[in-house]
Amino acid sequence: MGFPKRQAAIVGVYTTKQGKLPERTSFSLQLEAIRGALDDAGLTTADVDGLLPMSMTDHFPGTTAHQFWAEQLGERPLGLVEIGGASGQLAKAAAAIAAGLTDVAVLFFGRAGGRTGPGGTKAPEQGAAQTRAPRVPDDWSFATAGGYMTSWYAMWARRYMHEFSVTNEDLAEVAVFTRYHATLNPDSVMGRKGEITVEDVLASRYVCEPLHLLDCSIDNDGGYAVVIASAERARDCRKKPAWILGGAEAYYTDFYATINDPWFPNQGKAVRKATDRAFGLAGISRDEIDVAGLYDCFTITTIRDLEEMGFCKLGEGADYVKEGHLRLGGSMPTNTDGGLLSNSHCGDPSGMHTIEVVRQLRGECGARQVPGARIGVSLQQGWAVHGMASTLIMAAD
Amino acid sequence: MAILEAAPAPYLKPLPEVRPENKPFFDALKNHQFVVPRCDDCGDYNWVPYPACRSCLSENQTWTPVSGDATVYTFTVCHRGPGAFNAEVPYVIALGELAEQPRPCLVLGNLVGTAPEDVRVGMPITIAYQEIPGEDITMWRWVARG
Repeated sequence: MGFPKRQAAIVGVYTTKQGKLPERTSFSLQLEAIRGALDDAGLTTADVDGLLPMSMTDHFPGTTAHQFWAEQLGERPLGLVEIGGASGQLAKAAAAIAAGLTDVAVLFFGRAGGRTGPGGTKAPEQGAAQTRAPRVPDDWSFATAGGYMTSWYAMWARRYMHEFSVTNEDLAEVAVFTRYHATLNPDSVMGRKGEITVEDVLASRYVCEPLHLLDCSIDNDGGYAVVIASAERARDCRKKPAWILGGAEAYYTDFYATINDPWFPNQGKAVRKATDRAFGLAGISRDEIDVAGLYDCFTITTIRDLEEMGFCKLGEGADYVKEGHLRLGGSMPTNTDGGLLSNSHCGDPSGMHTIEVVRQLRGECGARQVPGARIGVSLQQGWAVHGMASTLIMAAD
Repeated sequence: MAILEAAPAPYLKPLPEVRPENKPFFDALKNHQFVVPRCDDCGDYNWVPYPACRSCLSENQTWTPVSGDATVYTFTVCHRGPGAFNAEVPYVIALGELAEQPRPCLVLGNLVGTAPEDVRVGMPITIAYQEIPGEDITMWRWVARG
């Protein structure tokens, strides 16, 4: 027994337009993405036998994600529904496909009109509209202290900088190389604004110290989908398959209320566990990775991803970035689409990194193509810092 | 023990919902005590409160007053805030590590009364209590200690 390598493949990927899309709804973005990814694979909705909705994927109130989407797809019985983070959902789907539970599954997300940042919470109207304090159901929520995603990652960054003598300049290097990549991606939201420097990052306003605006991901609308299929089905699909070599997920508590000290233990947390297991199952080593998509909701996230994934040691992530490994032309080009910092963060973007790695493995990336990319890795994380993590390792033929 | 002036009215920022399970905690805050579930069997403190002790899974936990003394484990100065908080920027959110050990308890709260630029990791802080006008609840804040 072991992970069923090369018995399932990603056969279709699709991203809608990313950006401000006031004329769209979340459902229309998801439907466009599902149709688009199936078309990319040369399949139709009649082929779909499994659903991988993100934990934030919309459905009608009173339904569950599986009820809503099974009905929407024609009320056909589906072999698999897996919710989680994209890299892990796809790893579990690959194992399920090999076990015969399903043949073709589609992962999807789309959002229009929502916001992840502090602007997503409306200020109270002056005067009569709000006269009482709103009550939040989770007793210890950071909302009662004015907390939100950025403040939580900022506290992570502050503690990390304190323990490892890392500076704002170090963090900024991540924003600089991902923006450079975005300038080579015509579909990215920020690429058209051009390259930025470390000084630009430091000169941008603080959102939550120590994080400046340009340390933060963008906050936009968009949708995407990924189709995964059995080896047998993959052979008949339109595009080159991106074979699943291994993958795993891990969960950790850290949920925006408290954390456990130490925050940076030598043995790592969820990202370490998922990544060690994924590489072990795939039977490959870190230095075999040609291209990577590493979750980068903030600059600090990428630095911590590298350490937790074992590409460098604890406390060395910033130096690893400065050595140029992640930039196009480096030893492991990372977030070549511009990542969440400069390509798109559409609410639950955990599948976006996988999509870019698949496009690299297919050789579809034009000016940002990594020559001869054969093996890639995507890391998803979320629900507080590294609270839910998953790693997927893929290979071209 | 630090007691702050009541917050200005109207108070429009989010507040916790008091329910039977957390009522002992909020009753204690009204009496200017910060209580943490402590395991009757192994003695560890558990924050945030959970149904059972994280160390030994015992359900025998007692709401136990702590000193309120802590040090800043980490913090952020927010220059944008959700909803009503945006009128109060810059404000400080801190995770304070309670003096009580061995299981470290990191408690989240607003640190008030110190200029944001003077807040440091490792700074001694303590719990302060603040009445909320028009609401039947007392909230906790962090303030500098000593």
